[in-house]
Amino acid sequence: MPEEEMSVFLGVTRRDFLKFCGGMAALIGLGPGGTPQVAAALEALAKRPQVIYSSFQQCTGCAIQLLQTRTPTVANLILQQISLEFQDNVMAAAGDAAEAQFEKIVESGDFYWVIEGSIPTKIPEATTIAGENVADRAKRVYPKAKGVIAYGSCACYGNVQASRPNPTGAMGVGEFLRTKGGIPDAKVINISRCPGHSEDMIAALSYVLVTGKLPELDAVGRPVFLYGKTIHDSCMRRGHFEAGEFVETFGQAIAGDPRCLYKLGCKGPVTHAPCGINYWNGHVSWCVHNAPCQGCAEPGFWDKFTPFYEQLRTFGNFPAETIGIALGAATVVGLGAHAVASAATGRFGRHEDETKGGER
Amino acid sequence: MAETTPSASATGSVTTTATATTSTATSANPPTLTSLPSGGKKVVIDPVTRIEGHLRVTCVVENGKVTDAWNTATQFRGFEIFMKDRDPRSCWQFAQRICGVCPTPHAHASVLATEHAMGLKNVPDGARLFRNMSEAAHIGYDHILWFYLLNAFDYVNVPNGLKAKVPATQPALKALQDTVRRIVESGQLGPFAGHWWDHPGYKNPPEVDLELTAHYLRAIEVQQFANDASAFMGGRFPMVMNYQPGGMINQPTIEELQYYKGQMSRVTDFVDNVMLPDLLTIAPLYLDLATIGAGHKNYLSWGIFDDESQDPYNRVLPRGAIFGGDLTSVQKVDPMEDVKIFTKSSYYSDSSGEGKHPLDAGQDVKFTSYPDLKGDKLPDGKYDWTQSARLGKDNRPMEVGPLAEVLVAYASGRAEVKALVDSTLAAVGAAGKPEILMSDLGRIAGRVLRAKLNSDFAQKWADDFLGLVKAGKAEVYKEPPSPNDGEGAGGWNAPRGALAHYIRIKGGKTSAYAAVPPTNWNLSPRDDNGVRGPLEAALIGTPVVDPTKPLEILRVVHTFDP
Repeated sequence: MPEEEMSVFLGVTRRDFLKFCGGMAALIGLGPGGTPQVAAALEALAKRPQVIYSSFQQCTGCAIQLLQTRTPTVANLILQQISLEFQDNVMAAAGDAAEAQFEKIVESGDFYWVIEGSIPTKIPEATTIAGENVADRAKRVYPKAKGVIAYGSCACYGNVQASRPNPTGAMGVGEFLRTKGGIPDAKVINISRCPGHSEDMIAALSYVLVTGKLPELDAVGRPVFLYGKTIHDSCMRRGHFEAGEFVETFGQAIAGDPRCLYKLGCKGPVTHAPCGINYWNGHVSWCVHNAPCQGCAEPGFWDKFTPFYEQLRTFGNFPAETIGIALGAATVVGLGAHAVASAATGRFGRHEDETKGGER
Repeated sequence: MAETTPSASATGSVTTTATATTSTATSANPPTLTSLPSGGKKVVIDPVTRIEGHLRVTCVVENGKVTDAWNTATQFRGFEIFMKDRDPRSCWQFAQRICGVCPTPHAHASVLATEHAMGLKNVPDGARLFRNMSEAAHIGYDHILWFYLLNAFDYVNVPNGLKAKVPATQPALKALQDTVRRIVESGQLGPFAGHWWDHPGYKNPPEVDLELTAHYLRAIEVQQFANDASAFMGGRFPMVMNYQPGGMINQPTIEELQYYKGQMSRVTDFVDNVMLPDLLTIAPLYLDLATIGAGHKNYLSWGIFDDESQDPYNRVLPRGAIFGGDLTSVQKVDPMEDVKIFTKSSYYSDSSGEGKHPLDAGQDVKFTSYPDLKGDKLPDGKYDWTQSARLGKDNRPMEVGPLAEVLVAYASGRAEVKALVDSTLAAVGAAGKPEILMSDLGRIAGRVLRAKLNSDFAQKWADDFLGLVKAGKAEVYKEPPSPNDGEGAGGWNAPRGALAHYIRIKGGKTSAYAAVPPTNWNLSPRDDNGVRGPLEAALIGTPVVDPTKPLEILRVVHTFDP
């Protein structure tokens, strides 16, 4: 698109566009030199890539998070970078007209599918759209899609509705398709966190559009380039963990206090997500800015990590009590570093067991 | 039932009973149709789009009007079941996942219920102000989101904006028009695809449609400012991180407070100078909507925004109920005592006819089948995942939402609310007639008026908090008692209406948990007495020009912000 035309396109300047491409190049691992490659790949698409966004068993929080996207702007994203051909929270059409639009794009076979929400399997009618339960919809539409992204922890792992006793039998989309859905080789990119982070999702989609390949996924189906590190690894409070300096009571001015929130129950050491890198809400804040991490990027965090406001019981291969006793003493520094090294390489105690099962 | 008085008890646990009566068969509640009348047409919208969650609406249209209606939520998750046996301090994190559009008030109501069960009456004044600020930012975002993203396409015809004559002095508007043209010509219409743009119900001149399309795009950015304000102090939005029984996890810093004030001033600017004028621009074209959709005219508000007393009856928008549209009398109501749940029409075992306390409902799921999507068969028996909430001794269906809150505040004599409502009525030529607000158009106006009240107060609370900082009294947390057993209710208003959470603690864990969100009121199905829910009642009488393009039905559904 010519520069002058771009500059009036919904207020998006060439500079904004290149900034977006630069951000995406960095996120998908091409580095700063990758900006022209991303820009060329996106501009070469004469027809904008079609995306349909389905809401399964969910709370709409991921769609609201999508509306918080800043780079690119929401309007630029859904009207310029892609063509968002179905999204039930923003689309004008309703009822039969909306369904006809969905089916038209599905029939074309020329679309990427973003799914928010889980799939209830014990009570399949616990989520239906136009009379079709979402389990049937997933099985029917998956083979037609050029790629599927499970956006947010519900679509990845079932999330809160899958917490014990999981009354509706909620499952993540990929897991459902590979097991009960009868598509054992189904490939779904998991973009976890609760809500899902739109910039993770856009980065994954950009990766696919630019490289034509699926990104490398971790043991629970998430792109390694996004979820390879723990919160702890990228935390600005990390130095104070090493130094044994902790916030110990609620009600402090936490944003102005650099100390570590581990003793308030922070789950950062065992949570893999780029929160400390891409932040939230226009990059102004992230959870650990004001409160302890609750581990929302990890499968099963509602059962594994509750009570949320108690210190982790395990950390790496060491029982937390040991760390708790030693914390604050100079001797703990080595211990802490060792535990973190274990986390970074995925050598968890408890955590490893919970991530078995091949979400890839 | 006692009248609300400013000196109402701080505990809020006043047992009340509704004394007025209405027969079940009224204009809003004629007998349910059991079969499709000859000449009648069944109209189904599934999915209802531009809402939170999953919804189907089934209507019968006869002679160009809706004569019966049923709402069917097509999603269930089971919060009442999986929140059992949890640490009460963690409950608010589960609870805010009930609604990702309005997580903050869910977190808040959950914390209020837990505090009630713990026997904690007040939180530090700093926590009160902090919570008010978080809620004000949240409402700022939510009402802007609703007015533009969820509601506007029912009135704003985007392609019609292509016909607008744009003066050369407005290059930005011209650029937007060119953009819309390119999108339409590309054939990749995205969010505008497939809609009933040729419906005769669209009445705006092209210039208005183009202008409002520009405001729609601006609204996306402004709702972000409001969320940035709460995220900067609360970690992120949606799903805030900093609530806690006893107060708030973090004390806001001066930097955070100044950032909040800055972002909220941008929200105020938009509400005052764009959203309110937009309402006044399009309302005169749709005055017919002021004469329909009143429904039951029962209005409930649990109250929102605490003053120093932290008494829910003294809130800025106070707690109370209005029955039968009678603005001369506000009844005192309590969420613990006055709410019952009915399930004869819901996918649970039948309620006894007496109804259940919220804490005793929601466990015995019993899915049967959804009503037929096609064909002439009308819904009967069980047809909804939503349980019916009813109020008081006479089990009244209650409309909740900004209109209900504004009316309860107006009838309670709140000066700021009276002034704003009266001036708005005068501006639309209805001075002295607040009853015209009891309509579809009134629900739209109520939301805009509350957004206006809200952004005015946000600055004051931030300034009050800065005053606490200056006085060295900015505490936001006090360790609550942690009894092994207790029971509590927390009533608040989400942007879409009255919201209550309930908790029963036994042995230090939740033995029962319940939420009665706005959906259980506004979108309740028929109760055990066959009385329709507020949306079902409001739909009756809605004109429908073309049953294959039921735009008018969609509009009414959206006025409830489901």
